[in-house]
Amino acid sequence: MKTIYFRAVLTIAALAASVAGIAAPVKTPHVEAELVPERTALVPGQPNTVALRLKLADGWHTYWRNPGDSGLPTTLDWKLPAGVTAGPIEWPAPHALPVGPLVNYGYEGDVLHPVTLTTTPDFLSGRDVTMTARADWLVCKETCIPEGADLTLTLPVANRADPDPRWGKAIAAARATVPQPIAGWTAQAHGDGARIKLKLTPAAGAADPGTLHFFPNDEGRIEASGKQTLARDGTAYVLTLPVAYQLAPGFKRVDGVLAASAGIGGAAAATLDVPLTGTIVAGPKPAGEDVPKLNLAGGGTAGGPELSLALAALFAFIGGVILNLMPCVFPVLSIKVLGFAQHDDDRATMRKEAIAFAAGVILTFLALATALLMLRAAGEQLGWGFQLQSPVVVTGLALLFFVLALNLVGVFEFGQFAPAAIRGWTSTNRTLDAFGSGMLAVIVASPCTAPFMGAALGYALAQPPAATLAVFAALGAGMALPYVLLALLPGWRRVLPRPGPWMVRFKQLLAFPLFATVAWLVWVLGAQLDNDAVLRLLVALLGVAFALWAWHAARAGGGRAWTAAAVVAVAGAAFVARPLFTFDARGPEPVASATVKSADGEWVGFAPARLAELTAAGRPVFVDFTAAWCVTCQVNKRTTLNRDGVRDAFRRRNVVLVRADWTRRDPAITQALAALGRNGVPVYVLYRPGREPLLLPEVLTQQVVLDALATL
Amino acid sequence: MRTPLSSSVALFAAAMATGAIAQNPGQAAPAFSVTDVAGKPVALADYKGKYVVLEWTNPECPFVRAQYKAEAMQAVQKEAGAKDVVWLTINSTNQSHSEYKTGAQMASWMTEQGAAPKAILIDPTSAAARAYAAKTTPHMFVIDPAGKVIYNGAIDDKRSASVSDRKTANNYVRAALNDATAGRPVVVASTQPYGCSLKY
Repeated sequence: MKTIYFRAVLTIAALAASVAGIAAPVKTPHVEAELVPERTALVPGQPNTVALRLKLADGWHTYWRNPGDSGLPTTLDWKLPAGVTAGPIEWPAPHALPVGPLVNYGYEGDVLHPVTLTTTPDFLSGRDVTMTARADWLVCKETCIPEGADLTLTLPVANRADPDPRWGKAIAAARATVPQPIAGWTAQAHGDGARIKLKLTPAAGAADPGTLHFFPNDEGRIEASGKQTLARDGTAYVLTLPVAYQLAPGFKRVDGVLAASAGIGGAAAATLDVPLTGTIVAGPKPAGEDVPKLNLAGGGTAGGPELSLALAALFAFIGGVILNLMPCVFPVLSIKVLGFAQHDDDRATMRKEAIAFAAGVILTFLALATALLMLRAAGEQLGWGFQLQSPVVVTGLALLFFVLALNLVGVFEFGQFAPAAIRGWTSTNRTLDAFGSGMLAVIVASPCTAPFMGAALGYALAQPPAATLAVFAALGAGMALPYVLLALLPGWRRVLPRPGPWMVRFKQLLAFPLFATVAWLVWVLGAQLDNDAVLRLLVALLGVAFALWAWHAARAGGGRAWTAAAVVAVAGAAFVARPLFTFDARGPEPVASATVKSADGEWVGFAPARLAELTAAGRPVFVDFTAAWCVTCQVNKRTTLNRDGVRDAFRRRNVVLVRADWTRRDPAITQALAALGRNGVPVYVLYRPGREPLLLPEVLTQQVVLDALATL
Repeated sequence: MRTPLSSSVALFAAAMATGAIAQNPGQAAPAFSVTDVAGKPVALADYKGKYVVLEWTNPECPFVRAQYKAEAMQAVQKEAGAKDVVWLTINSTNQSHSEYKTGAQMASWMTEQGAAPKAILIDPTSAAARAYAAKTTPHMFVIDPAGKVIYNGAIDDKRSASVSDRKTANNYVRAALNDATAGRPVVVASTQPYGCSLKY
């Protein structure tokens, strides 16, 4: 009874299998394999595409025709009826898959391997044909498993065929992405010792291909784990390929697949086959010594564009000019400029003042840079932005900006404080006054240099002292330039409306950028210390505001009571703010980096030992070097790192997310930055197992991060 | 004749530091010092003046298992032993990897296989593998009495994890040892290794 039932099931199964295009997938623990057709029938005399579909479990991979450092390519061995022949596997472009210090070439996810079947023109229509293939593949994750399956596919033979409803589109798309020779581009390969320079000349009007990676068709040619670097040569691109350490004989042509992150010749990847000229020798030992250990102690630079001194100075100069528009500086300098708009001085005096101002700005920048260099020489682990790592400085700046803003609003006049003798002295020494204004301008600018130019100045600090000072001097010159021009070329004054009430309102308006700066500094203090510190600072500001108002009232004839009230308020403010000033002037105790700091969502704290462990274990790690006082960092976090698309991409690639928070002093983070050739934040770096860390630009976009992840 | 351990460690450190010593055929074999399954230190320098075969292995790797199941690896080990060739089997699987084997586990697995190496070495930090840029398991090296690498590459010419393929495969290590011990230059001195990735 049972046997009959079993037979019936078998018969039904056989019937089902004979229906056009049906083939049952074979399942293994990590792979689902089947042969799938692009069209519903075989058409005699025409090419028909079928595909080996391998659906891989998450994290598992199979191999390309050249498996890279280890592994085996997937193979298909066909058994076909007479009149049908099968071509080779038409390999889709592979991905570079790092495994520790090694790199494999292969695929993840749902992979279609197209194969073209050709039938003779006289192949009989009107019958079903069963095609059988033995598929063998090696599937690997932490471990490798050789697997295989005997697969069958039955298709009718007909004069016309429609796209298969389930697989037609997918296979057509897979076929379209099989790399073809580059359309319009030309390539030359020249051997130069242990390197091959692959020069690619784009077709006229071709778009930039983005990041390029070359996959050689054969082993023993190009070192799979070696670094490929891309440079521009006029309109051409030069991709430098590392010759294999274990070089196989007979390397006469450079043939393989060139993958481009932004596409090349209208496709994501193209084939290449050019003769190799020049001479080559076997390359250096791969990975070996510089496998994924993180050289956190070293001062070497890892990737990143080499900035020449002249270029760095130019950027600093432009940065200095822009600094005048920052909310910390703009109001203060505007008042100064309006001040001399009201005077009618002779040109000589104006010129003297302009030079004194410029000298004040440049010398103060140089003094700050020298102080920082000396502290670093004395063994302090500091970088640019160090001034904002100290709660004392943040508190002091908040008070300074608050007082300046109150002055602009008109709560009090500075003149009320200064004894007549000093006032007289400054007015007769206007040159010195201009010099002092320059110093003040740099001090009020300093909270803005760190957030916006931290990385650039950090870079400058990683250079020899003379170069560092040159860059800072250029920054100062840039900052002083607009003021100097306005002083030397008085023609602009004619454009201004006549002095009048508008100037008072304009002055009051300028107080608000300063208040905004105060708000930001209060937030920074909160990130450095705690909520209590924020309250202390706010109460101190309140006391200062009341004191200034009372003092003003006293001067306006309010009597002694007002003076007393002002004194009490200042004393109260000082008492409340005192704990904020009792911290070590260099900031609170350095954060102990050996312990992993509290997690921030999916982000974990920075710990160098853990980082080295993770990369050694083959996990990619993305590190966000950031600080609360770094505005660029906050912008990047909101526009890019916290976006769903980017977070999903991180998750898919199994990237460990690490946040290195430099809001407070942290020698371990300073060292890690130095190892990357940087000395300021933001810095974004993707540690790739077995390869050089990839430095991302300071201003992130989602595309930049996704492209970086695509190199994994 | 035995070089003190300290000097071989120093040599190893020097090799790692300069990166100048490489192990392509004809080049000097990097020194290394690791411990055997009983915890006894073993250095390459201990076997100066003899032919040495290095076999990188991992019992969890199907390519390695196929070699042992077909008794192909044991056969070459025994032939090497008869020629007074020193056969060192090294497991460089990093101790942080799930496939890591202790000395005792390695010893018992090798005994089960009837393997016949001179020594079984455990390299828990993968340092020896790095020194040789070993990529796969198996990955084979043959070193001559002067300390030069004379073969670097695959165990044989059938790139598969199938047991039956081993019968028809041409074993490169056997060929290299036959050439070298007969005073001939090694014909095939370098091949692309195949197998599982070495678990660094």
